[in-house]
Amino acid sequence: MANTALYDSLPPEVLQALWHSSLYGIAAINNQGFVIAVNPTFERCTGISQAEALGWTEDDFNLALLATPVRECKRVEVAVEGLHALYYLRVRAGATPQNSIAVKLQHIAEVLREPLASIYGFTELLLTQDYDKQTRTDLTSTLLNQVELMSNLINEQLDVRKINK
Amino acid sequence: MKNVLIVDDQATIRQILSLILRDDFCLSEAVDVSSALLQMQLLKPDAIVLDIMMPGIMNGYQLCEKIKQDPALADIYVLFLTARAQVTDQEKGWAMGANAYFVKPFSPLELSRHLTHALHLN
Repeated sequence: MANTALYDSLPPEVLQALWHSSLYGIAAINNQGFVIAVNPTFERCTGISQAEALGWTEDDFNLALLATPVRECKRVEVAVEGLHALYYLRVRAGATPQNSIAVKLQHIAEVLREPLASIYGFTELLLTQDYDKQTRTDLTSTLLNQVELMSNLINEQLDVRKINK
Repeated sequence: MKNVLIVDDQATIRQILSLILRDDFCLSEAVDVSSALLQMQLLKPDAIVLDIMMPGIMNGYQLCEKIKQDPALADIYVLFLTARAQVTDQEKGWAMGANAYFVKPFSPLELSRHLTHALHLN
């Protein structure tokens, strides 16, 4: 656990200046395990904007880092109110951020696999199991909802303008 | 009857698993790792069907690691059921001590047969 006495003694404007001028890319994770902020160096080093990273889980975050030229990444647990961990990272000398399209596509595939799993599952159950009429109607209705959800997700996630951002 | 704990934040996935497993197993459900840990205190399951990406501080990988590092729980059969399909994801799952790794979309029948076989219920 990092010593927080130093943080506590610094005025907010100093912390703000350190956050913005740090040579290290920094990402902050809240107590619920989600990314709540990244600093400008992080955005430059990784090509991942704060808008993209906000709301990622730590797993999403680590997955996204795989496609970036990050050389060192250190995770530090902190005891500052509302924060759970900070990541400090540096990039390889001379490296430029890769396009994060591969990461985005991987994320999209994972998002789409969830309703697809439900569609596959309910269809297989309806084809192979002997349910009464009411249950079949309920399952078919749920199946239809999942198709609709998947359709919406495709429209939302596979917007080329968003992918290219 | 063997006890199986289903841990997944998606209600439809829990419903599918419940429909296919309920005749052969005694089922309980959890929507995240915290509630899974509570359920496990009430009744140690013989197997866990475990999602990886769920809301909360801990994810499925971390729960699996916790289970496998606890001598009292290590014999629980952990079956990952996840949308994480990359080889690196699967390798991480095996590294955490998983017994099986199913990628969504999946066949409920195949998963049921797998669990039945794994828990020696044939």
